Amino acid sequence: MEPIIQINNVKKYFGTMEALRGVSLDVNKGEVVVIIGPSGSGKSTFLRCINRLEEYDEGSIIVDGIPLDSTQHINQVRTEVGMVFQQFNLFPHLTVLENVTLAQKVVRGRDKAEAERVATQLLEKVGIPEKAHAHPGQLSGGQQQRVAIARALAMNPKIMLFDEPTSALDPEMIQEVLDVMLTLAKEGMTMVVVSHEMGFARAAANRAILMDNGLIVEEASPEVLFSNPKEERTKAFLSKVL
Amino acid sequence: MTDENNPLIPPMNARQTGAAESKDGFDRWWILVAIVAAIILLLVFMKPDPYQRMILFVRDGVMVTLTVTVSSFLLVMVLGLFAALGRLSKNPVISTLASVYVEVVRGVPLLVQIFAWYFAFPSIVQGIGDKFHIPAFQDYLANPVGMAILGLTFCYGAYMSEIYRAGIQSISRGQMEAARSLGMTHFQAMRYIIIPQAVRVILPPVGNEFVSILKDSSLVSAVAVADITRRGREFISTNFIPLEGWMLVALLYLLMTLFASRIVTWIERKTRITR
Repeated sequence: MEPIIQINNVKKYFGTMEALRGVSLDVNKGEVVVIIGPSGSGKSTFLRCINRLEEYDEGSIIVDGIPLDSTQHINQVRTEVGMVFQQFNLFPHLTVLENVTLAQKVVRGRDKAEAERVATQLLEKVGIPEKAHAHPGQLSGGQQQRVAIARALAMNPKIMLFDEPTSALDPEMIQEVLDVMLTLAKEGMTMVVVSHEMGFARAAANRAILMDNGLIVEEASPEVLFSNPKEERTKAFLSKVL
Repeated sequence: MTDENNPLIPPMNARQTGAAESKDGFDRWWILVAIVAAIILLLVFMKPDPYQRMILFVRDGVMVTLTVTVSSFLLVMVLGLFAALGRLSKNPVISTLASVYVEVVRGVPLLVQIFAWYFAFPSIVQGIGDKFHIPAFQDYLANPVGMAILGLTFCYGAYMSEIYRAGIQSISRGQMEAARSLGMTHFQAMRYIIIPQAVRVILPPVGNEFVSILKDSSLVSAVAVADITRRGREFISTNFIPLEGWMLVALLYLLMTLFASRIVTWIERKTRITR
């Protein structure tokens, strides 16, 4: 079967700085890939290229058979790819329920009742059905991030991208978000996760990747990458984080 | 002159909820509005001469002031939006034109601008008429109220554009990204996510602009517009009562500006976002 995400030799420049220097990666359906690396290594930029929030200068990306080459295709891919951000980015002027239903209505064209049924179900899944009518500002960080996951899932994405989903959270709230992500992984969701949560990577990931300086340095199963890496760069990085 | 740290726009969470707000949500500054209204009524009934006579004399001036203010304000809202979108445009010609407009207008006193519209603009039109033999242009005479509205609009449009621009830019990039990542088009993201939030941010400064226009509209009395200030001056100079006269003019302005401020606060409170 052909990989659901095919990334071929992607390069990206910020002015004269090369942020991505030719990154290639295939992700199979149902696979969970975790990307780690020092800040400025290009891992977030790379993730954001997959739904074209970041434009790349060279190379090609094909998601679920659709190449990211025109506005129409990009919007089509974005409806199939959910994204969760470090800063949650919930819409503060809408209630939790409205956050989860808005895109269903305006993008998917679902009616109000259907959208609310889906939203209620997902809010139960992420464990905060009672907050449906609260505004994001009244929620804790962990709760906000779980709403953000529900919001992305409401579009029935085939792929979920997570950009450091727990980095902005207080330590005691990290686990509740990771639990939701673990459930998703078990259900067979295709996931690409930028995160330094080794516990999550060991429990859920099929593959772990170390990026540095705009390149993939090493790619292996999480057990191998975290315990027995081949590359010196990986060893040096892990010695600092662990 | 840049407005990178626009003092008009406090961060959303730091916005003062107003010390004068009581527990039941009643805005206690309404009491001041009532006091000013009561003083005016008291003066009119207790001392009809000169106050009642003067009120009747400047009555039409109040209508002129309100007409000039409201018309200018509505036009300013439109012009300001275009100027703001122009400044934010990726097209360098458009953004330069918009920026030059804003910078030039903000560098010239409003009174001088109003004089220019009333005295200089007609002679430009007449000059063009003479050159190209267009009778309608040759006979052009400035309409005082029209030129007053034009002058206020042109000037305040520049200030308003900065408010709009700051409002749109105050919404974090993440909001647009989140909307786009859900598959919304740029237009949908603006319509459902960015503009509803930006409107709430700019509401207080936009309300302040209305009050400022109301006050600065008194400058148009210098170009033969019979507003409150001009009618008041006429009454005062024929009756020789500067103290009572200017006090009443001030009270009338105060009543209108305080009332407008309360309305702004009321709208602001209705649309507040919990963060």
